[in-house]
Amino acid sequence: MSKLTPALLVAVALFAAPAGARPLVLAVGGEPESGFDPVTGWGSYGNPLFQSTLLRRDADLALEGDLATDWTLSEDGTLWTITLRDDARFSDGTPLTPEDVVFTYNTARDAGGLVDLTGFDAARVSGPHEVELKLAEPRISFTSRLATLGIVPADGYGPGYAREPIGSGPFRMVEWREGAQLVVEPNPYWHGGDVPFERVSFVFGSEQAGLSLARTGAADLVAVPASQADTPPDGMETLHVETVDNRGLMFPMVPDTGATTEGGAPIGNDVTADRAIRVAVNRALDREALVTLALNGHGRPATGPADGLPWDNPEGALPGNDPEAARETLDAAGWSDTNGDGTREKDGRDAAFAIVYPAGDGTRQALALGAAQQLREIGIAATPTGRSWDEIRAMMHSEVVVLGWGAHDPSEVYNIHHGDYAGIGYFNPGFYDNPTVNAHLEAAERAPDFEASLAEWQAAEWDGETGFGARGDAAWAWMVNLEHAYWVSECLDTGARQIHPHGHGFPITHDLPDWRWTCAE
Amino acid sequence: MSWLRPLLLGRLVRLAWLLPLAAIGLFTLISLAPIDPVQAYVGDRTSLVGPEQREAIAAAWGLDRPATERFGHWLGDVLRGDLGRSLTYDMPVAEVIARRFPASLVLIAGAFAVSFVVGTTLGIAAAAARGGPADRIIRTLAVALSASPGFWIAILLIALFAVGLGWLPSCCAAPPGLTAGEAGWSDRARHLVLPVATLSVVGTAPLILHTRQRLVAFLDSPAALHLRAHGLSWQRIAFGAGLRHALGPALTLHLAGAGELFGGSVLAETVFAWPGLGQATVRAATGADAPLLMGIGLTTLLFVFCGNLLADIAARLADPRLRQGPA
Repeated sequence: MSKLTPALLVAVALFAAPAGARPLVLAVGGEPESGFDPVTGWGSYGNPLFQSTLLRRDADLALEGDLATDWTLSEDGTLWTITLRDDARFSDGTPLTPEDVVFTYNTARDAGGLVDLTGFDAARVSGPHEVELKLAEPRISFTSRLATLGIVPADGYGPGYAREPIGSGPFRMVEWREGAQLVVEPNPYWHGGDVPFERVSFVFGSEQAGLSLARTGAADLVAVPASQADTPPDGMETLHVETVDNRGLMFPMVPDTGATTEGGAPIGNDVTADRAIRVAVNRALDREALVTLALNGHGRPATGPADGLPWDNPEGALPGNDPEAARETLDAAGWSDTNGDGTREKDGRDAAFAIVYPAGDGTRQALALGAAQQLREIGIAATPTGRSWDEIRAMMHSEVVVLGWGAHDPSEVYNIHHGDYAGIGYFNPGFYDNPTVNAHLEAAERAPDFEASLAEWQAAEWDGETGFGARGDAAWAWMVNLEHAYWVSECLDTGARQIHPHGHGFPITHDLPDWRWTCAE
Repeated sequence: MSWLRPLLLGRLVRLAWLLPLAAIGLFTLISLAPIDPVQAYVGDRTSLVGPEQREAIAAAWGLDRPATERFGHWLGDVLRGDLGRSLTYDMPVAEVIARRFPASLVLIAGAFAVSFVVGTTLGIAAAAARGGPADRIIRTLAVALSASPGFWIAILLIALFAVGLGWLPSCCAAPPGLTAGEAGWSDRARHLVLPVATLSVVGTAPLILHTRQRLVAFLDSPAALHLRAHGLSWQRIAFGAGLRHALGPALTLHLAGAGELFGGSVLAETVFAWPGLGQATVRAATGADAPLLMGIGLTTLLFVFCGNLLADIAARLADPRLRQGPA
């Protein structure tokens, strides 16, 4: 190496970053293999880095303006009128115009990428700083798109855009070495203020590589698995982030009549079709114990699909860890252990079902095993069963499956509970269909504004008489919300945080421009 | 060099039927794989991408057409020199391979050279000291190496040299925070050490054992005994006349094992976050990215084919007796 030392010195002298500029190095995954093009799906969670959006969600997930200074929805719920700020510029210095917004929305609608704009009709320029977005039908969850779809320049957009993005976001690209690293620097034209880092570097590759980087002191913030959460290296501390990255038991809701899907998958389960069974499971589960068992204590009990989000309704839950109440429920419904084998029966049928989990997922396996153990105490024989996702797709309409959701978007609540989505992909695999719940979900989508929709989303979970929550139809038995762990440099202040969505890693960057170094150089 | 033409011609004929056969086999395997490319692409956003949008994605990728039609389409494009478009990377397959192959080639070439030098040297040294303590140590090492899984060696090397001693970087092709232009040659060289060391383990052990065996046979031959009778030490015989004797077959063996190096690079690139073709292979496989997998599969085939061809040529150059036989 002695011959190389002079070369190293020259390299340091020639290329050292400006004094005082300590690059921020993150290893949180999230590399978009196809590039940084919002039109095909870049930027749904975390900071879109290069682009900015019309609206954004703050730490409490409330909506605030980003490019938009004002936004109103017409009375019939189909026309958004959005006033744009006049000082937004792209990172090449050109001003952002309403034409760019219109171009972005209309292009994304037709792109066939990951931006689902179903129900969006068209956008048009309606004033010097104003655009109108027309929907085919009222859909309040469209506001989530306003908060995630980054605006691209109509002029600079083309086939190469994804790898050389230009936008009005907080950063501009310095270099992207695919599969290795993304280096960004602040966009001097950004309308959001100063970013206190002269450079931010995202190291990609495996989780293992991120851990090694942190242990050698080369990274400032790293996503770590729960098993490593309690042992941060010197100079770093563990950050535990609350999430709605949830796991629950999805129940088949209809009896087995021999019906099958078009693909031949059986539909229905005679045991779980009985509400008493589903309510008893909800009452019996000791969720704290499941958190300890399956997540090493790094999580919190889950009682609904969106715990702690604005559209969540805690009233819909039933208190768990109450086997006595669970037994009463089963007794009252006629499930009793007449033959003394430890499993209850009713009409000659055992209170037994499989709990299917993806075989490669240790957390879900532990949850399935733990839940089965707990249910045995109330006389329900649940058999944990590991299968591949491919097999699960064929079983999930007739067996209990450990599934997980957790989006920052109430349309998820719609998708997994509305009767119209019964059997459509992973949406509503249990064929749940309650006209009252459907009506609440539809009313929510028709709400005059996002705030007003919250009451209807909540009513779908529990409206005092029915709902998809455990007090109502108990369509699911939610178990846990994961905690996402990160090792963070003791010198880095990452400020206030949202409850994180499904997906560990990149969402941590949501408020990256507000982060600060706290140690003196 | 009259032996070269028939050899090359024979191999070209073999390639002509091997390539289409491999393409059909690969396509069948990928089609049967239990991964839905649209679901893999949607991933974490399952709840946010509805059925209509999924159909739009499938249509944009041409997945709404039957498999045989897709294969025919792909084959037609390939004959015109177009390998198709990668679903995962949203760019032409040829470009993905062209961008990533150099990084892999650096790793593979480095490992190839290191394992060749280390493997033959240790093999010859063991033969020269056969039966002695040095021979035992080297043989034990070779057996231990060939029994060690690559990922375990990688983790051991990282724990020792990166985390424990802090001498070498633990991952990546360049230091974090620096652009390609800013990272100096010494930086890149330092980042190469552990991945190359990990990858070279694959080829070293068989080379040690093979070279040793080969040379022991030579040292027992009348020619070697004659030299010994004239007073040469075993070491001088081994590293002198023996070297030439062992090198040819060793190179043949090593070149023929190029395919294993290619396979090993997938693992090394994953552990060390190395942005090469191995990493792309893993992404393509988990994303059921058929065009890219086909492209990489055929590239690998050509790579191994060339390795074997070079091995045959090297063998004939080293040993004139082989030039007589049929190609």
